[in-house]
Amino acid sequence: MKRARNKSVILGGVLIGGLLFVAAFAPFIAGDPYHMDMSQRLLPPGPGHPLGTDQFGRDLWARLVFGSRVSLQVGIVSVGIACTLGTALGLLAGYAGGWVDAVIMRLVDIFLAFPVILLAIALIAVLGPSPVNLMIAIGLVNWTMYARVVRANVLALKHREFVEAARALGLRDRAIMLKHVLPNTLSPIIVLATLGLGHAIVAESTLSFLGLGVQPPEPSWGWTLAFGMKYLRDAPHLSTMPGMAIMLTVLGFNLLGDGIRDMIDPRTRNRA
Amino acid sequence: MLGYIAKRTALILPVVLGVCVIVFVLIHLIPGDPAMVMLGQDASPEEVARLRSAMGLDRPLAVQLGSFLLRLAHGDLGVSIFQGEPVSRLVLKQLPATCELAVASMLIAVLIAVPLGVISAVKQHSLVDVASMGFAQLGVSMPVFWLGVLLILNFSLRWGLLPSVGRGKPFLEGLAVLLRTGDYLPLADSLRHLTMPALTLGLTTAALITRMVRSSMLEVLHQDYVRTARAKGAPERAVIYRHALRNALLPVVTIVGMQFGALLGGAVVTETVFAWPGIGRLAITAISQRDFPLVQGCVLVVALVFSLLNLAVDVSYTLIDPRVRHGIAQRQ
Amino acid sequence: MRKNKLVLATALVLVLVTMAGCRGSSSGPSAPASEPRQELRVGLDVDAGTADPRLARDTSARRVVDLVFNGLVWLDPELKPQPALATSWRQIDPTTWEFTLREGVKFHDGSELTAEDVKYTYDTLLDPAFKAPYRSLYAPIKEVIALDKYHVRFVLSQPYAPLLSYLDMGIVPRAAAQAAGDSFGTKPIGTGPFKLVKWEKNNRIEFEAFPDYWGGVPKLEKVTFLIIPDNTVRAAALEAGDVDLIHSPLSAQDIPRLQANPKLKVEKTNALGFTYVSFNCADPILKDVRVRRALAHLIDKKTISSTIYQGMDTPGKSPLVPAMWAYSDEIKDPEYDPARAREFLAQAGWKDTDGDGVLDRGGKKLTISLKTHSEDPNRIQVVEFLQNEFRKAGIEATVETTEWPTFRDAVQKGDYQLAVLGWLALVDPDRAMYNQFHSRGASNDGKYSNPRVDELLEKGRATTDIEERKKIYREAAQIVVDEVAYAVILYQGYVVAYNQKVSGFQIHPNASFASLARVTIK
Repeated sequence: MKRARNKSVILGGVLIGGLLFVAAFAPFIAGDPYHMDMSQRLLPPGPGHPLGTDQFGRDLWARLVFGSRVSLQVGIVSVGIACTLGTALGLLAGYAGGWVDAVIMRLVDIFLAFPVILLAIALIAVLGPSPVNLMIAIGLVNWTMYARVVRANVLALKHREFVEAARALGLRDRAIMLKHVLPNTLSPIIVLATLGLGHAIVAESTLSFLGLGVQPPEPSWGWTLAFGMKYLRDAPHLSTMPGMAIMLTVLGFNLLGDGIRDMIDPRTRNRA
Repeated sequence: MLGYIAKRTALILPVVLGVCVIVFVLIHLIPGDPAMVMLGQDASPEEVARLRSAMGLDRPLAVQLGSFLLRLAHGDLGVSIFQGEPVSRLVLKQLPATCELAVASMLIAVLIAVPLGVISAVKQHSLVDVASMGFAQLGVSMPVFWLGVLLILNFSLRWGLLPSVGRGKPFLEGLAVLLRTGDYLPLADSLRHLTMPALTLGLTTAALITRMVRSSMLEVLHQDYVRTARAKGAPERAVIYRHALRNALLPVVTIVGMQFGALLGGAVVTETVFAWPGIGRLAITAISQRDFPLVQGCVLVVALVFSLLNLAVDVSYTLIDPRVRHGIAQRQ
Repeated sequence: MRKNKLVLATALVLVLVTMAGCRGSSSGPSAPASEPRQELRVGLDVDAGTADPRLARDTSARRVVDLVFNGLVWLDPELKPQPALATSWRQIDPTTWEFTLREGVKFHDGSELTAEDVKYTYDTLLDPAFKAPYRSLYAPIKEVIALDKYHVRFVLSQPYAPLLSYLDMGIVPRAAAQAAGDSFGTKPIGTGPFKLVKWEKNNRIEFEAFPDYWGGVPKLEKVTFLIIPDNTVRAAALEAGDVDLIHSPLSAQDIPRLQANPKLKVEKTNALGFTYVSFNCADPILKDVRVRRALAHLIDKKTISSTIYQGMDTPGKSPLVPAMWAYSDEIKDPEYDPARAREFLAQAGWKDTDGDGVLDRGGKKLTISLKTHSEDPNRIQVVEFLQNEFRKAGIEATVETTEWPTFRDAVQKGDYQLAVLGWLALVDPDRAMYNQFHSRGASNDGKYSNPRVDELLEKGRATTDIEERKKIYREAAQIVVDEVAYAVILYQGYVVAYNQKVSGFQIHPNASFASLARVTIK
C-alpha cells in the first residue's frame, strides 16, 4: 500500500521535477523559441530540430521548453487566485456562520450553476486578452471548490477542543481563524491545488482552441496544440508534441495530488 | 421531508437571480454591441450610434438591468436580436440536443467508471488497478477538442464507420418510430451521429468518476460493517456487491449530478468540433454577436436545469441514505 | 503516443458495442442504385443569420439568398449585370433608371411578381428603422416608383454609377413579407430555384426544388446546408463523403490534399475581396507618412501568400482586386525591403541611439501594436509573422487578438495603430474605395484624408463611362497605396472543393451558389 502510493508520488514528483528543471533552465537547454525561418516550416522531427518545426519554422523543442514557463505560470497563478479567494471565503463562511455563511454559499451556488466555459469566455472578453487576465479568468471560475471544502472543514473543526480552548482564552476571531483553523484545513487545500494545476493547464488549451488563449508569439502549449490541430493531417507532430507535454504535466500533478492525499489523509493512512 | 424540499427549492431562486445579474452585467461590459455587429463593416459610427440608441442600449446599465429583471419576473426572456424569435423558444429548441448528448455521455461515463472503479478498488494495486487509474489520469489530462478530432479522423475518415459531424434524428423520435413501426433506421441514424460526441465527452467524465468510485469504494471496504460482514464469513462477492457497493455509490451520485450539470454547460467545445446543434453553440454564437437576450436566456436555462438537477440529487440522496435523512451527517 | 492509443482502443471497443445494434444502417436505406439521388449536401462554416436578402450580412446568409431569391439583375462570373427578374433596363437621364420586369414570375407561395414587390423591397431596405446592413450602398436612391405592373423606375438623388451592380438584391413579395413581419427571415418566400423547407438552427438548412421556377425546374431535388464550424473537420467531412461540397474559408494546408484526392475536384478563382493592414493615420506615430511607408516596406507579401496561405490568396497591391474590371497591375506598391524601411524610419527621426536594438526618438521607443480578430487563424498568423518582421527591424511590436465585435469596436473608435482585416463582395470599385478612403467615408477607420482622393471618388460615382471610371479609380488607388492608408497584403482567392459526382457547378468570384439551379448528381 505505502509502496504503491509512494510510487505514484515519486512518479508524479519526477515528472513535475523535470518540468520545473526545464522551466528554470530553459535558456540553457533550448534555442530561441521566437526565431522564425519560413524556409524551414513544418519540418518533421529530425537532426537540428529534435521535435521538428512549427508553421513559422520555429524550433518546436524550444517552443515547448519555453512554453513550460507559460503553462506553469498559468497553472500557479490561476490556482493561486482560486485558492486564496476560495479559502478566504470558505473560512469566513464556516467560521462566521449565519447570514455571512448563507450569502457566501449562495455565491458559491451561483458560480457553480454558471456554465464554466461561458463564464471564462465572458470574463476574458471583459478583461481583455492578456496572459494575466487569462489567469484571472481561470482562477475566478475555479474558486468554488476551495470554498466548499474549506467551509466543510471549518464546520467540523469549529467545535473541537483546541478551538474552543482558544476562544476561552479570549483570542480574537481573526487570530483563531488564521492560527488555529486554517493550518488544520491545509491538507485538503494542497491536494485540491495540486489537482487544480493540471486542470488550469487543460483549461488554457481549451480557451486557446476557442481563440482566447495567451497572445502570440508567446510559446504556450495550449496555443501550439490548438494551432497544431489545423496541421494535424500534414504535420501531426505539431499537435502531438504539445498534447503529450500537457498530458504528462497534468498526469504529474494528478499523481502528486493523489499521492499527497493518501499520505496526509488520516482515513486513508490508517487503512490497509 | 416536504419542508426540506420546499426550503431547498426556495434557495434556487436567489441563485438563478444571481446568475442572471452576473451574466447581464458581464455581457454588457464586453466591448462591442449588437448594433455594431448588426450593421457590419460598412456602417458609419453615426449610424451605429443611432441604432444603439434605438435599441435602448445607450440607457444606464442599471436601468437596462431593471427592465430586464422586470420582464423576467413576468416570465419574458425577450426576443433574440439577430434571430427575431422569442429567446425561450430558441433555447427550448436547442435544449433537447444538449440533453441528449449529456445523457448519452453520462451513460457512457457511468458504464465505464463504475465497473472500472469498483474493480480497481477491490483489486487494489493489481494490474487492473494501475491500468484503470492510468486511463482515468489520461482522460482528465487530454484536451477535449484534441480527442474529438482524433476520433473523427480515425472513425469517419480512416475507417468510414461513423458520420463525422452533425446530429441525426432526435433520439426520442427515432425510438418512437422504432416502437410504432418497427423501423430501426431512424434510431440507428440517431445513434450513429451521437456516438462520437458522446464518447468524447463521456471519456473525460468517466475519468473523473472512476477516481471517485475507486476512492469511495476503498473507504467503504475498510469500514466496520464490511469487516463485520467479512468476519461473519459472508462470501466476498456478496460483501462487495450487497454491502459495499450500495454505500460506496452514494457520494458518486452527487458527483454524477454535478458533472451532469457541467456537461450541459461545458459541452461548448464538443458541440463546436462535432457541429452538434446544442445550447452551448447557441450561447457561443450569441456571445460572438452580442445577442444580449439570447446569451442571458441560454445561461439562465442552463443554471436553472443545473440547480433543479442538484435539488433532485440531494432529495434522492436524502431518501436513499438513512444517515442524511435523520440529519446526522452533514452534507458538504 | 502509446497512451494516446490506449484511449483510442477503449473508444474503439465502445463504438463497436454501440454499433452492434445499428450495423445494418450504413447500407440500410437501399434506394434503387440506378438513378443517383438528386441531393446535394453543402458544408458551411457558420449558420446563416437570416434568410431575408435585405438583412443578409454573413456569407452563409448570402448563400441561402442565392438559392431562394432573385434580384432584378444577376452578376455573371465577369460581374456584368445580366437580366434576371428584369428583362431589360434603360437609363433615361443621369439620375433615372427604368426596368421592365419579367412577366409571369411566381413566388414560392404562388403569387405573381409585380412592380409593387420591387418598390416594397427597396422602400424597406432604405428605411433606417429596418436596420439593413448595406443600406449605405443604396442611399443615393431617392425614390422607387411602380409605373405599372411590369415597369419600375428608380430615381436617384445624384448620378450613381455602381447602382446596377447592387441591384442583384433579392426581391421579396410584399404581401407575404408584410404578413410575416420578423419571421420572414426564417420562413423566406422568394422567386428563386429552391424553397427553404426546414431550418434547424446551427445544424442544417434544407431546400427543395421549386417546380414553378421561371428559369426552368432545377435538376437537384434537394439541397442541404450542413453547418460545420471547424475548418479541419469540414474538410474531413468532405473526404469522408458526409458532404458533397465545401468552399472558402478553408485551411490553406488542406487544399493540396483535397486536390490530390481522385474523388474530389478543387476549383479556384480570384475572389472579390482583399486582406489588408489598416493604418491609423490619426495616430501620433503613424501620422507621419514616412513611418507608414517604412512599415509597408516590412510586409513580405510574397512569403505570407506562399506559406501561410499556400498560394490560395495571392500577394496584393491595391484595393482594386483582379476580379474587378477596374483592376490594373501597373499600380506600384511598396515592396518588401527592410533596408528602405530603415531609411524611411531614420528620415522620420527613429534611430537606435542607445544601442539596445530598438529604435527610439526623443527618448521614446518605437512601439507598434498589431491587432486582428481571433476567428481567423490565418490572420492571427499574419499578425504574428509581421510582428517578427517588425522586431527584426528594431520596432517593439505587440500583438492583440480579440473576437470580432471587440476588435471591430476598437478599430471603429480609432483605438488601434495597425489592424489586419478584410473586405468582401467588392462588386464595384466604388464599393472598395469610397467608404474606405473618402474623408467622410463611413468606414474610414484610420481617418485618412486627401482632397484629391475625395474628388476622384466623387467623380467615379458620377461618371457612367466605364473607361473613364477605370482611369479615375486607378489614379485614386495609386495615391492611397503611395500614402499607405491601407497596405493591401493579399488578393483573396475563392476555393470550392466538391465530390466528382457533382456536375455543372460554376465557380463565381462572389462565391454565389446561383449555379446550383443547373447542377446534377452523376
